[in-house]
Amino acid sequence: MTDIVIKTVEELKGAPEEYREAVSKLVISHAVNELYGAQVFDEPAIAYAPTPYAKWLTCRVAMEEYGHHVRFKQLGTQMGIPEERMMPGGTKKPLSIFEFPLKTWEEFVAIKLLADLAEILQVEDLLHCTFHPLRNLARATMPEERFHAQFGEDFSAELVKTPDGKARLQAAVDEYWPYLPKFFGGSKSKNNEIFRKWKIKQRTNDEMREDFVKRATEVAAKYGLTLPEVRQAA
Amino acid sequence: MIFLGPLRAEVYAASWFAALGEPLTEGDRVDAKAYAGTEGVALVTSWREAEDFLKSAEASLDWWNREEDERKALLARAEAQYPKRALWTALTELTTEAGDLVHGKAAVAAARMGGAATASIHVAAGAAAQAIYQLAVARVAGETASLFESKFRLFAAGRWPLGIKGSRLVLF
Repeated sequence: MTDIVIKTVEELKGAPEEYREAVSKLVISHAVNELYGAQVFDEPAIAYAPTPYAKWLTCRVAMEEYGHHVRFKQLGTQMGIPEERMMPGGTKKPLSIFEFPLKTWEEFVAIKLLADLAEILQVEDLLHCTFHPLRNLARATMPEERFHAQFGEDFSAELVKTPDGKARLQAAVDEYWPYLPKFFGGSKSKNNEIFRKWKIKQRTNDEMREDFVKRATEVAAKYGLTLPEVRQAA
Repeated sequence: MIFLGPLRAEVYAASWFAALGEPLTEGDRVDAKAYAGTEGVALVTSWREAEDFLKSAEASLDWWNREEDERKALLARAEAQYPKRALWTALTELTTEAGDLVHGKAAVAAARMGGAATASIHVAAGAAAQAIYQLAVARVAGETASLFESKFRLFAAGRWPLGIKGSRLVLF
C-alpha cells in the first residue's frame, strides 16, 4: 500500500518503517545542507557585499537560510531525530560544493543565481509530499527561496552592466557550475526510488537534473552568461 | 542554557519602523548621539531616499566595519563564557524568530508609506534583525554599555539608522 497520507507528526509514528526512514533522511538532508549553505556562503558574503544596501539584503538572506535550517531541525526534533544528526559533523555528508569557501561577491551572486535555483527545484518536488508537515514546510520555504534566486538575478543584472563585472561573474559561474548538477543525486538512487514509491517526492533525480540544466541555461542566458557544458557543446 | 527572554520581550514590544520619516524627537537625538557619537542628524523621509543613500558611494562603510569589530570582540567574550553550540543555537533561534517579526513590520510600514522597492523591505528586515543579533551578542557577553544598546533603541522607537555620512547620522 503506497497511497498514504500523513497529516501530522503524531500520525507518522504509525507509518511503515520505510516511509518514516525516508522522511527522516529528507529532513536531515535539508537541515544539514541549509546550515552548511548559510555558514559557507551566505554569512561570509555579508563582508563582500559592496554597499550597505547589499550588506543588509545579504544579512536577511543569510538569516532566512539559517531559519530554514532551524525549521527543518524543529520538524526533525518533533519526529524524534537526534539533534546531532541534523548538524555538521553528523552522519550526513554535506554536498561537495560546500568544500569551496566563498572568495568574492561575484561568486556569491553566481551561487544565488544558480545554486538557489537548484534549491527551488528540490523544494518544488516536496510541494505535493504525502507527509504534510514536510509539505507545509516546503510551502513556507518556497517564497524565500524564490527571493534568494531573484537576489541572484538582480545582482547579476548589475554586474553584467560592465565588461569587467560580467567577466568576473562568468568566471564565478564557470567555477561553481560543475558542482551543481550533482545536487540531484545519482541516476539509480535507491533513496529516490523509495521517495517516489511513497509519493514523498515526485520526480526522478535525472528528470530534476534535466529540468535544472534547462532552467539554469535560460536564466544564465538572460544575463549573457553561458554554462561550461553549454559552451563545450556549442 | 542561555537566557535571552528579556531581549525577546523587548523585541516584541518595539515599534519597528513605525516612525520612519517622522520629525525628529528629543529622544531620537539623544539615542542618535549615544549611537553615533555625533550631534548631527540627517533625516531621510522616504523609502526611495533611503534606498538611494544605501546604494550610493556616499554611504561609507567605515561605521559598518567599526560595528563588525565591536561585534567580533563581543562574540569572542561570549564564546569564552558559554559552549559554542549552545550560544550559536540561542542566537540563531532568536534571530530567526525576530527576523520574521521585523520583516512583517517592515512590510506594513512600506505599504503604509508607499514607494518602497520589494527588495528594500528585505533590506530593512536585515538591518533590524542584525541590530537584534548585535544586541543579543552584547548582552550575552555581559556588556551593558555597548553602542548596540542605543542602536536598538533607535529601532525600538520606530526609526531606522541608515549609516553615518561625514559627521552626521543618517536616520529614516
